[in-house]
Amino acid sequence: MTSSADTSITGFFVRYRTIDLVTITTLGVAFGLVYWAWGKAYAPLSEPLVLAYPPLAGLFGGVWLIAGVVGGLIVRKPGAALVTELVAAAVSLLVVGGTEWGVSTLASGFFQGLGAELVLALLLYRRFGVVVAALAGAVAGAFESLYEWQSYYDYWDLPYKLVHLGLFALSGAVVAGVGGWLLVQGLARAGVLDAFGPGREQAREV
Amino acid sequence: MTGAVLRVNPLVLLAVGLGSLLGSFAVRDLTTGLVTLAAYALAVVLTVPSWRYPLLCLLFCSIAAASVVWSTWRLGGHDEAKAFTAGLRILVLAWPGSVAAGYVDPARLGDHLAQSLHLPGRFVAAFSAALQRFWSLVREWQELERVRRARGVGPSRSPLATLRYAAGAAFALLVQAMRGASRASVAMDARGFADAHHRTWAEPATWTRADVAGLAVATGLALVPLVLHLT
Repeated sequence: MTSSADTSITGFFVRYRTIDLVTITTLGVAFGLVYWAWGKAYAPLSEPLVLAYPPLAGLFGGVWLIAGVVGGLIVRKPGAALVTELVAAAVSLLVVGGTEWGVSTLASGFFQGLGAELVLALLLYRRFGVVVAALAGAVAGAFESLYEWQSYYDYWDLPYKLVHLGLFALSGAVVAGVGGWLLVQGLARAGVLDAFGPGREQAREV
Repeated sequence: MTGAVLRVNPLVLLAVGLGSLLGSFAVRDLTTGLVTLAAYALAVVLTVPSWRYPLLCLLFCSIAAASVVWSTWRLGGHDEAKAFTAGLRILVLAWPGSVAAGYVDPARLGDHLAQSLHLPGRFVAAFSAALQRFWSLVREWQELERVRRARGVGPSRSPLATLRYAAGAAFALLVQAMRGASRASVAMDARGFADAHHRTWAEPATWTRADVAGLAVATGLALVPLVLHLT
């Protein structure tokens, strides 16, 4: 049995502790609630700007990416970012119902989570600073934008698609990346991440 | 309006949505879009118990579709046919799935994820445990609001103040959720959760005749746009 003090990765096969799994799914449920609420606020907030210049929709997308970044930053194990984002997307789709994008929400969650996961994986799950977080958010946004090119904005001319991608990545870097990093620091200071890396780094030896 | 949708398992409902998502990629002209949407509308009318929820979903999806029609017209060379095709595609992509998702019982989903799809048991059990917390999180949010109002720290009318207030309350909610998570995981481990080899589930994941028929209908509907596109 893995002891609850063991937060580091040993070898390729990672054993998830119970608290890792429960934290991932709890974050998923909490962010699912946030996503659902943001989904309701999204249309009235974004529609005026989207009417003026459609690629601006990307700027509002960063909020959808935060679960993956936060899950990855807290749990720090392979798969955590992807699964947290996927669970959040599933919860926002299934529990309350009535989202405007249907099962596409799940596909989005998958690609967004994959983007964040990829950045953390390329750094071998060793670096979790603010720059890495911003990068994870940006790549998650870029992945989502690429998915939306295929599924929603297929007929847009390429330059507009590229603007959408850039704005989505920017929004991901700022809102999900830097915002997610600040959120994790805040949670660590509040003392609820003691079982995880960010909480350990906050702890002071006395 | 038979309510048949209530008798199929959650995986069949998700398959309907997944089928419409995949099928939507084959919607390349107006006729395909209209026929596919009509086929889904017929299936929805025949299976749902009441018309209110599907219509509400259609309203939400139409807002999204209208936005895509506008942007495609504006950024795709002012081509009306293309724009409306893109809009219809969004309806095919989103509407069936959002209707079907509304009839999924989250409590039953875990049984099926574990027993039919054979996802890792520990993860599914943790997921189901977290889902149980959803409505208690909603209640906690309302409690936070009442407490803040009683202390006179509610938001003023400006949108910025509302946003700050919502962010602060969301943070407090997240702190409570994380505390609950560590309490729950200690309780789960105390009951031998981490090292269990044989797990039992709340209910068996059965595949009745209705489920198989539902899966066949989901597949058939997904193939409608593809067949129309190829012929």
